[in-house]
Amino acid sequence: MKVAVKAQGLTKQYRDILAVDHIGLEVFEGEIFGLLGPNGAGKTTTIRMLTGQTKPTSGTAVVADHDIIRESIKAKERVGVVPEVSNIYDEMSAWDNLIFAAQLYSVPKIEREKRAKELLELFGLYERRKDRVVGFSRGMKRRVTIAAALIHKPKMLFLDEPTTGLDVQSSRMIRNLIKELNDSGVTIFLTTHYIEEADQLCQRVAIINQGRIVVVDNPEKLKAAMEERHVIEISFSPSRDLNDKLRGLSCVNNVSRLGDKFRLYVDDASEVIPSLIDFARKNSLKIISINTLKPSLEDAFVRLTGLSPEVMATEKEPIKKREE
Amino acid sequence: MKVEHSSHISREIRVAWAITVKDMRTYYTQPPSIMFGIIFPFALFLSFSIGRNLPLATQIPVLISQTLFFASSSIGPVVIPIERADQTFDRFLTSPVSLLAILMGKTLGGIIYGAGISVIPVLVGIVFFGSQIVNFGALIACFALSSLAFSALGIMFASIPGQTVGQVMMPLNFVRIPLLFISGVFTPVSELPFWMQVVSMLSPLTHTVELARYSSGGETFFGPFVNIAVLTFYAAIFLFLGIRFHIMNQRKE
Repeated sequence: MKVAVKAQGLTKQYRDILAVDHIGLEVFEGEIFGLLGPNGAGKTTTIRMLTGQTKPTSGTAVVADHDIIRESIKAKERVGVVPEVSNIYDEMSAWDNLIFAAQLYSVPKIEREKRAKELLELFGLYERRKDRVVGFSRGMKRRVTIAAALIHKPKMLFLDEPTTGLDVQSSRMIRNLIKELNDSGVTIFLTTHYIEEADQLCQRVAIINQGRIVVVDNPEKLKAAMEERHVIEISFSPSRDLNDKLRGLSCVNNVSRLGDKFRLYVDDASEVIPSLIDFARKNSLKIISINTLKPSLEDAFVRLTGLSPEVMATEKEPIKKREE
Repeated sequence: MKVEHSSHISREIRVAWAITVKDMRTYYTQPPSIMFGIIFPFALFLSFSIGRNLPLATQIPVLISQTLFFASSSIGPVVIPIERADQTFDRFLTSPVSLLAILMGKTLGGIIYGAGISVIPVLVGIVFFGSQIVNFGALIACFALSSLAFSALGIMFASIPGQTVGQVMMPLNFVRIPLLFISGVFTPVSELPFWMQVVSMLSPLTHTVELARYSSGGETFFGPFVNIAVLTFYAAIFLFLGIRFHIMNQRKE
C-alpha cells in the first residue's frame, strides 16, 4: 500500500512546552486515519506541522511524496486543509469564498466556477451561494470550509476536529461527507477527541497523549486486545458520586462515571459482581441495573492512556470569531 | 526549468493580486480602515489648519501627504490582526503560495487604498481651491513611492503578533504621530532650526510633503531627487524588514 504521509521523529517545542514529542506515523493512500486524543494532546500541532502551518523543531515528514520543509509548496498543492475553526471570510458569500480559495490554489479560471458549482451542489449550499457567510449556521460554515479545501481536487484531506461544536444533525452530515469523500478516493487524516467518531469513521487510529503516540492500530484490533478485560456498567439509587469507593473494591482497576451509571474496568466480572451486591447493601444503595459490556474503543483508550472518558468529553474553550 | 521558474513567478503574482482584490472588497469599508485611514488624517488636518489664517490651496499638499501617510499605513495593521483573529491568515499558510507573495498582496492593498483616498484632496484642491499641479512627474513619484513606503511600514508593524487592530495600531501611532511634528507638515522645513532640519530629513513623511508641495509649484528644501531617493530607500527598508519580521514570527508559531 502506498504511503500518503510518513512522519519520523516529528517534534514541536514551544519554549518550555513540548507539544509533540518525537512522533512517527504512516498514513496509507485511500484510508481514513484518525489521530485520537484529549484536548492538549498535540493533535492540532501535529496537523499544523504536516500542513506547513508551523515548522517542526525536529524530525521530518513527507506528505503526498513531498518533504514538508524542503518542498512545502508542492506538498500543499496536493492536500486540502480544514482547520478546527471554519476559517472562511464571513464578509464574503459562499460562492466568493470558493472562488478565492480556487485562486489561492491557482485553479484555472475556466475550471473555478464549474468546480465551485459542483461543490456547492454536493454540499447542499448552491441555493445560498450568494448569501454572505456571516448569516450561516456553524454546520453550514463547516461545509463551506470543507468545500473550499476541496476546490483544487486534492488527493488528501486534513481535518482538524471536523465536528467539534456542531449539533448532532450537522455532525452526522459531516461524517457522511467524509465517508463519501473517502469512497471517492480521497485519503483522510482527521483529528478528534470523540472516541465514537474515531470508531465510526477511521480504518486506523493513532492514540496520542501528552505529545506522544501511544498506539496505532485498527479500532477493532484495539477492542479485541481488550477482550481479556471486562467492563461492568452499574447504576445505583440514590445516584451519587461513588467513584472513589468503587475504585477501592478489590479487582476493580478503574472506574468512570457516565451519567447515572458507573463503568468498572475489572479483570474478572464473576468475582466482582458479588462484591458489588455486598457494596450496595453496606452503603444502603439499590442496584438499578447491572450489565457486562463488550470492550469498546473507549475502553481501549482508557486502558492505554490511563485517562478517564470524562477527559475526552471535555470540550475545548470555543475559539470566538469576531462576529460570533 | 526556466519555464517552470517563470510560471512559478506568474502564479505568485496572480495569487498576490487575488489577495489584494479580496482585501479591497473585504476590508476597505471596515470601520477601522475608515477610522484610521480616512477620518484620522482629515481630522488632524482640520484641527491644525483651521484658524491658522493660511490659504487652503497652500495646505492641500499637507492634506495629500497626511492621507497618503495614514491611509497607506493603515491597511496592513487592520487586515492582518483581523485575519489572525479569524484564522483566515492560516488559509494563506496552508495554500501553495510563498509568504512573500502573501505580503506583496497585502502591501498592494495598502498602496491602492492610500493612493486612491489621496486622489480626493488633489481633486478637491483643484476644483474648489484653485490648486494647480505644475509637475505631474513629481506628483506621481510622490504617490507611488509614498504609498509603497507607508504601506510597507504598516505591513512591518502588522508583524506584531496581535489579534486585535488596537494591538498593532497603538505602537504604529506612537511612530506616526511624532513623525507629523518633525516632517515639515505644520512648519516648512526651511523655517526649522538646523538640528530639526537634520532630524526631519530622516523622516520619510518629510519627503512626501516636499514632493507634494513641489508638484503644486511650491519649493522643496532638500530637492526632488533627494526626496525620491529617501522615499525609495525607506520603501526598500520597510519591505525588507516587514518580510523578515513576518518570517521570524512564522518560525515562532
